[in-house]
Amino acid sequence: MASPFQNRPRPTRRASRLLNIGVPYLWLGLFLLLPVAIVLQISLAEPTAAQPPYAALWQWVEEGVLQIRLDFQSYRLLWSDSLYLASFLNSLQVALVCTLLCLLLGYPMAYAIATAPERWRLPLLMLIVLPFWTSFLIRVYAWIGILKTNGFLNNFLLWLGVIDEPLAILYTQTAVYIGIVYSYLPFMILPLYANLTRLDPTLLEAAADLGCRPLRAFLRVTLPLSRAGIVAGSMLVFIPAVGEFVIPDLLGGPQTLMVGRMLWTEFFSNMDWPLAAALALVLLGLLVVPFVLMQRWQQGALEDRP
Amino acid sequence: MAIAIDRRSLEPWQDPKAQPYVRIERVTKKFGDVYAVDDVSLSIFQGEFFSLLGSSGCGKTTLLRILAGLEYPSSGRIFIDGADVTDLPPYNRPVNMMFQSYALFPHMTVEQNVEFGLKQERMPRRERAERVAEMLDLLKIGELRRRRPDQLSGGQRQRVALARSLAKHPKLLLLDEPLGALDKRLRENTQFELVNLQERIGTTFITVTHDQEEAMTMSTRLAVMDAGQIVQVDTPTGIYEYPNCRFVARFIGSVNLFEGKVVERDGDEVLVETPLGRPMRMRCPQPLALGSPVTVAVRPEKVRLCAAFREEAVNQIRGLVEDIAYLGDVSIYHVRVSPGQIVEMTLANIQPRTEQALTWGQEVAMEWSPTSGVVLAD
Ligand SMILES: Nc1ncnc2c1ncn2[C@@H]1O[C@H](COP(=O)(O)OP(=O)(O)O)[C@@H](O)[C@H]1O
Ligand SMILES: [Mg+2]
Repeated sequence: MASPFQNRPRPTRRASRLLNIGVPYLWLGLFLLLPVAIVLQISLAEPTAAQPPYAALWQWVEEGVLQIRLDFQSYRLLWSDSLYLASFLNSLQVALVCTLLCLLLGYPMAYAIATAPERWRLPLLMLIVLPFWTSFLIRVYAWIGILKTNGFLNNFLLWLGVIDEPLAILYTQTAVYIGIVYSYLPFMILPLYANLTRLDPTLLEAAADLGCRPLRAFLRVTLPLSRAGIVAGSMLVFIPAVGEFVIPDLLGGPQTLMVGRMLWTEFFSNMDWPLAAALALVLLGLLVVPFVLMQRWQQGALEDRP
Repeated sequence: MAIAIDRRSLEPWQDPKAQPYVRIERVTKKFGDVYAVDDVSLSIFQGEFFSLLGSSGCGKTTLLRILAGLEYPSSGRIFIDGADVTDLPPYNRPVNMMFQSYALFPHMTVEQNVEFGLKQERMPRRERAERVAEMLDLLKIGELRRRRPDQLSGGQRQRVALARSLAKHPKLLLLDEPLGALDKRLRENTQFELVNLQERIGTTFITVTHDQEEAMTMSTRLAVMDAGQIVQVDTPTGIYEYPNCRFVARFIGSVNLFEGKVVERDGDEVLVETPLGRPMRMRCPQPLALGSPVTVAVRPEKVRLCAAFREEAVNQIRGLVEDIAYLGDVSIYHVRVSPGQIVEMTLANIQPRTEQALTWGQEVAMEWSPTSGVVLAD
C-alpha cells in the first residue's frame, strides 16, 4: 500500500535501525572485545605474589605523569620453554585427528539420517542430541568406568577372547581421542545433517541418468555440495577440541600435554596469571587465523567467477 | 491457436511393418494403494516427437521416470530398440532425461554440466571438448559456458538442461514439462525451437505436458492420459477432430456436447435424437446399435450462422445470444438453446466489431454439417 507519509523520515524506523546495528556491536564489544582486552592487559603485566597476582599496568608516578609498564616476559617464556610449543602442537594434533575421526564417523551417520524415511528422522536426531541432557562431566566420568583396566570394554574383550590381558587405555592419549570424538560427534553430525537434507535428490537422479553409478554420484555431486556442512562441522569440533581441558584431565595420562591443561596449571597451580593470559591469547590467535582463512576460501569457492 | 507443424513425411504408425522404437507393454506402477500408471501400453517410433498429455497427477511423470529407469514398474515390460530394459538401472540405459526442475549441478559451470555425462562414459578429452562445443553451439549458449546455474535466467537454464541431456547423443530423450518453468512469451518461441532442434538431430523425443496447446503444436502424436490410464493416442489433428470419448473432447479445446440416442442409420451416417427436439444427422463410421445412448460433439468453430432456418431441417438450432467474448480475431458466442443447454459458437470477426449484427439477447439460428463433429459412445 502506498502511504502518503512514505517520504517522511520516520523516527521509529531510524531508531530501530540503530538498534539493529547497535545491539550486535554492543554485544561483541561487551562480551568479546572487552574480555580480550582484559586478558591482553593481564598478559602484559608483571606477575607478583599479591591478590590479584599481577602488577597494575599503569600508575600515576607524579602529578600529570602516567607510567605504563609493559612486561613481555610471559610471551618470551612461551617461546623459550619448548614445553608450551610441544603442548600447542600436541593439542593441534589431537584436535585434528579427532576432527577427522568425527568426520569419518559423523558423515555416514548424518547421511543415513538425512536419507532415512521422513518419520524416522526426528527420532534418530533425538538419539544424537539426547546425551546432551546429562551433564558433560558425568558422561566423561562414565568413560572412566568403561575404559579402566577392569572396566566394561576390557572385560568384554576378554570375554570375547580377543585379548588375553586387559588393555591400558585409560590415562593414555587414546582415551583422550575416544573422549573427544564421543563428546563432539553431535557437533559434526548436526550441521552435516542440516546440509544434507537440503540437498535436492533430483540431482542424484540426474547424475544417475547421465551415467553415474551411485558411488561416483556421491563423490561428484553429494560430497562437493556438502562442503559447507563439512567445514561447519569441522570448525565446531576442531576449535573447542584444541582448548579442551576436562577430557584430557580426566581421561589422559601425565604424558598428555594439551594447552587447556597448561592453562589450568598456570592459572590455578602456579598462580602465574600473566603467563596463562599470554598462552590463552596465542591460542586464540592460532585458532582465529585458520578460521578466517577457511571462511575466505569458502566464500571464494561460492563466488569464484571468471 | 495451435499452429500445426508439417509432419506429413513422418507417419510410421500408419505402416504395419514398422518396428516401434519404444514399446511399453502393460506397465503398471503402484505407490501404496495409488495406481500412478495403470496398465499402459504404447508404441513409439524412431524420430517421433511424442507427448504425454494429461492434467496434474495423472501419472505422466511417473511413466517418464519408468522409461528413464528412475522408477521400476510394478508389472509390465519396457523395450527400447528391441531390447528389454525393464530391469536396467538408469546409468545403463541409452536414454537421457531433462528434468522438470532442470536439476543442474549448482557447483559446476555450464560447461561442466554439459560435460558431466561424457566424463561418465570416459570419452577422450579431445572428443569431449568437441562434443561440448557442439552442444553449446546447438543451443546457442556458448557465451554462458563459465557461468554457474545460479547466474542464469530461467530460459538459459532450460537450454543448459537440454544441452546436458543431449550431450551423450541419446537414442531417446525424455522431457518432463520442458517449457513448464518458462513464461508464456518465451514458451511459445521455445516450442518451435524445440521442434526444429528435434527434427535436425532426429532423436526420438517423449515429452510430458499438461498444456494441450503445447502438445498440439509440437507433437507428431500424443497420448491423452487420465488417472494413470491412456485414453487416446493419435496425431494432434486426430485427437482434436476425432476424440474417442467425452473426456478427450473436453480436455482439448472447447466442445458442444449433445446427449441423445441413435434412432436411425443411413450409410455411414446416423440420426441422433436429442432432448432439444430436432434430430441430428452425424457421420459415424463405427457400428452403434439403434437406441444406444450417445453424445454428439461439435466444436464451436464448426458451428455457423444459418441463413435459411427450417423447422424440420437436421443440424439446425435456434437460441438467444447470452454472452459474447470478443477476442480480436474471433468472438465466442454463448447461445442458449434450451433452459439446460448453451451452444458455443466461434465466428471470425470478418467485419469490425462495431458493424457486427449479433448482439446480446438477439435470436440466432445456427447449423453444422454432418461431418463437423463426432458421435461418442459414452
Ligand atoms: N514417489 C511417490 N510416492 C507416492 N506417490 C507418488 C509418487 N510419485 C507419484 N506419486 C503419485 O502418483 C500419481 C501420479 O503422479 P505423477 O506421475 O507425478 O503425475 P503428473 O506428472 O501427471 O502430474 C499422483 O497421484 C502422485 O501423488
Ligand atoms: Mg509431473
